[in-house]
Amino acid sequence: MTGARLRIFLPPIALLGVLLLLPAFGIQPNAVRLLFVTFVWMTASIAWNLLGGFAGQVSFGFAVFYGVGAYAAAILIDGGRLNPYLALVAAGMTAAIASVLIGLPTFRLRGPYFAIATIGVSETVRVVATNLEFTGGASGYRITEPRPFNQAEHYYTALIVAALAFAVSLFISRHKFGLGLIAINQDEDAAADTGVNPFVYKLKAHAVAAFLTGVAGGVFARYAAFIHPNGVFGFPISVQILLMPVIGGLGTVWGPVIGGVVIGVIEEEIVAYFPQVHLLIYGLLLIVIVLFEPGGILGAIRRLQRWVRRIRDRQAGKRTADARSKKPDEVLWGAGSGPGR
Amino acid sequence: MLEVRNLTKFFGGLAAVRDVSFEVRRGQIFGFIGPNGAGKTTLFNMIAGTYKPTSGQVLSCGRNITGYPSFRLVHEGIARTHQVVRPFRAMTVLDNVRVGAHFGRQGGDHKSAADRAMDALREVGLHHLTDSSAHVLSVGNQKKLEVARALATDPELLLCDEICGGLTRAETDAMLDLLRQIRDRGTTIMYVEHDVRAITAVCDRILVLNYGKKLSEGTPNEIQLDPAVIEAYLGAAPKGWNGKEVSEGTPEKVQNDPADIETYPGASAPRAKTGTDDE
Amino acid sequence: MTLVDFANLLVAAVLLAGIYAVMSVGMTVIYGVMKIVNLAHAGFMMLGAYFAMELFERLHLDPIVAALAVFPIMAIVGIAVYYLLVRWLPQSDKPTLPSLLLMFGLWLVLQNLGYVIWGNEDRSIFTPRTFDVIHAGPIILPTIRVYVFAAGAGCVLLLEALLNWTWFGRALRALVQNRYAGQIVGVDDQKIASLTFGLGIGFAGLAGALLASLYSFNPDFGRPFLIRAFVIIVLGGLESVSGVAIGALVLALVESFAIIWLPAGYQLAVSFGLLVVVLIVLPGGIASLIGRVRRLA
Repeated sequence: MTGARLRIFLPPIALLGVLLLLPAFGIQPNAVRLLFVTFVWMTASIAWNLLGGFAGQVSFGFAVFYGVGAYAAAILIDGGRLNPYLALVAAGMTAAIASVLIGLPTFRLRGPYFAIATIGVSETVRVVATNLEFTGGASGYRITEPRPFNQAEHYYTALIVAALAFAVSLFISRHKFGLGLIAINQDEDAAADTGVNPFVYKLKAHAVAAFLTGVAGGVFARYAAFIHPNGVFGFPISVQILLMPVIGGLGTVWGPVIGGVVIGVIEEEIVAYFPQVHLLIYGLLLIVIVLFEPGGILGAIRRLQRWVRRIRDRQAGKRTADARSKKPDEVLWGAGSGPGR
Repeated sequence: MLEVRNLTKFFGGLAAVRDVSFEVRRGQIFGFIGPNGAGKTTLFNMIAGTYKPTSGQVLSCGRNITGYPSFRLVHEGIARTHQVVRPFRAMTVLDNVRVGAHFGRQGGDHKSAADRAMDALREVGLHHLTDSSAHVLSVGNQKKLEVARALATDPELLLCDEICGGLTRAETDAMLDLLRQIRDRGTTIMYVEHDVRAITAVCDRILVLNYGKKLSEGTPNEIQLDPAVIEAYLGAAPKGWNGKEVSEGTPEKVQNDPADIETYPGASAPRAKTGTDDE
Repeated sequence: MTLVDFANLLVAAVLLAGIYAVMSVGMTVIYGVMKIVNLAHAGFMMLGAYFAMELFERLHLDPIVAALAVFPIMAIVGIAVYYLLVRWLPQSDKPTLPSLLLMFGLWLVLQNLGYVIWGNEDRSIFTPRTFDVIHAGPIILPTIRVYVFAAGAGCVLLLEALLNWTWFGRALRALVQNRYAGQIVGVDDQKIASLTFGLGIGFAGLAGALLASLYSFNPDFGRPFLIRAFVIIVLGGLESVSGVAIGALVLALVESFAIIWLPAGYQLAVSFGLLVVVLIVLPGGIASLIGRVRRLA
């Protein structure tokens, strides 16, 4: 039991430790910036996966929460002179409230209908934001902070936020909440027949995801110091947020993290070399994943592991036979040990 | 325990169920039968919260629960199984049942819910398969999983929809034993089945539907002797067929053979407890 | 608002409804047979618009003729896409996540291929007739809109006839009812599905090509129309060509008259607002309302 727990909790903690110490070794500012961007994306990716991966409700509208978070943080810091960290929490709360307002009508729709409706929400919000006074309209909004810019502070903020998002995701996946979401994903009616209230559960997952995405948007806005509606509310943001968990492995804890790293790191390169076509590449990637490896990178890794194991087994034929004959006992043993997931 | 008053359901202009009333008493296995298209499934689905009745009431221990969504019914102590099994396919057997334990009437924390899930699996005899994926189970085991998942929600009333459909005779016997065992430890069961042999074998009380209306109600022996029921099954059965429920269950030959009903295990031994109630 | 203004708005709304029906009907057929929500619809509309432009500029075809010529081209594109991609999706009798993501990926690919081929500046199709108007009493009709309406409505009526009176139409409707039963009675569902997909994409292209005569476009063209098509389908109840026509008319009316109170920038917000209202008030779409009224009567 403790061994299993160690396997689950040790890698993320070790990784967090390494990343916390990294700036102390004086890495290049450019690398720090790249990691910062990766953490921001990763947060949004993990958040999206709570709703899209666990509960199976694909949303094309997470730019709404990213944008609302960015603007809420910007306005509170710049106009309201609020402590930046309180402003980030407020940004998350604002996004969560927005998610409830959006979810109340749209969660009456199921699966793909919900997905299309979110495109509508996202477009509507972008149009409205472009036409509003206090967002600075299409010309954008500039954030000035009294304190001087400190890259390390932004790095740590983004890292801690991403780590919190991961912790939330891990916690949900191991508790009742996650079980309910996965049940909804598998069969919404059967979940309701087993006592899960699908509407409320989807709203809750949406709100948690929106909170995290809003905080990510706020973290980004503080760093960028300038935001405009077509940027933070833009459709490409929604696409990118959705793509990361799909690439990494939908509905897993580590998938969105891997996807976040992939997109965070390679996006820079793709955008630098092929400025127009990065969405083209994303589209191709999506098609390939859907048709060939729906489990994403994590799924491919698992498949590779199985493949390697099978080859190894074939080389030691006799051992395989022994292992096979042992299997029923293992199952029984598993049953005896209680909640073995 | 459960009281149904004048329940009616129209689909378009067609009455699928019309003005049906009955009462299920605590500790009974209460069955519905009727020819194809008689409205069994519609009636069941109205009680289980899938359809909203056009008019009429469903009362649980005197509380009006008409039109409650199914998750609220679960919290009221009414759980169901599905005619076509609907496991959470990608989950393990244990996790399937844990959903019921976590979200059922008791709910509760991680550990105790997992224990209750194991209890439910042990009760239906799937405890040796906890870690298998639900979708690799045989049909018989998937049916048992349906029962275990419903039991894990800690229901007072278990609604079983064609739980023996598609099972072999031996599997059916085992399932009927399981139902009796569930009843004996205090859970009331309402049971819809196409297979008249199975239902007369296990039920304490039976409601016969025909053309959406209540035709007869009584103990298995009573309804077998009711001329109206015999007429509906022997005389008018072909008319009852409206071509809609093509997918349902087994051939009906056996229904016409009273001898077969007699020989079915348990049929001639109605429980002594029948009729005693605490409500 | 005078009566003449009102009449003008009404006529404009009906003309708009025609083109809305064309763009939604393609999505409806594909959904009906394959239970795939075609998110790439907007991408195919964009392709249709550019194809019409190329035919107009290079071959000097009349834009309406070009639009009609786009239909078979896009239908072939659709069939090719079916055999290349869609066929490999797991079959299902309800919409699935993989199908949604696949079509979304396809949309991204089409849209950005558009950027690569045609660049990102706005294009439009101008003819000497573009600004002509017809005076029908006090009502003023832009000629091009009338032609677009006639072409669009004609094609939708042809589709309705095709569905009702041909073997293909009957087979298609059988699959809409029940894909598996259709297979049992010997409908070659692969073939019908590919033809349906071609038909749906053909209509998407036609809608894009017709819209190209009315509005300027760029490779991002179509996204607002995708949402409108979706609103229309939800309004119409996802079932029939006539449902789509009613949904298109309702949306066009609401949008046309909303302009009186709201700036044009909010038009999309209006259609989305309508969707929200419908979802809350009428979860079954207009069809359920009609059914309810009929039951009361």
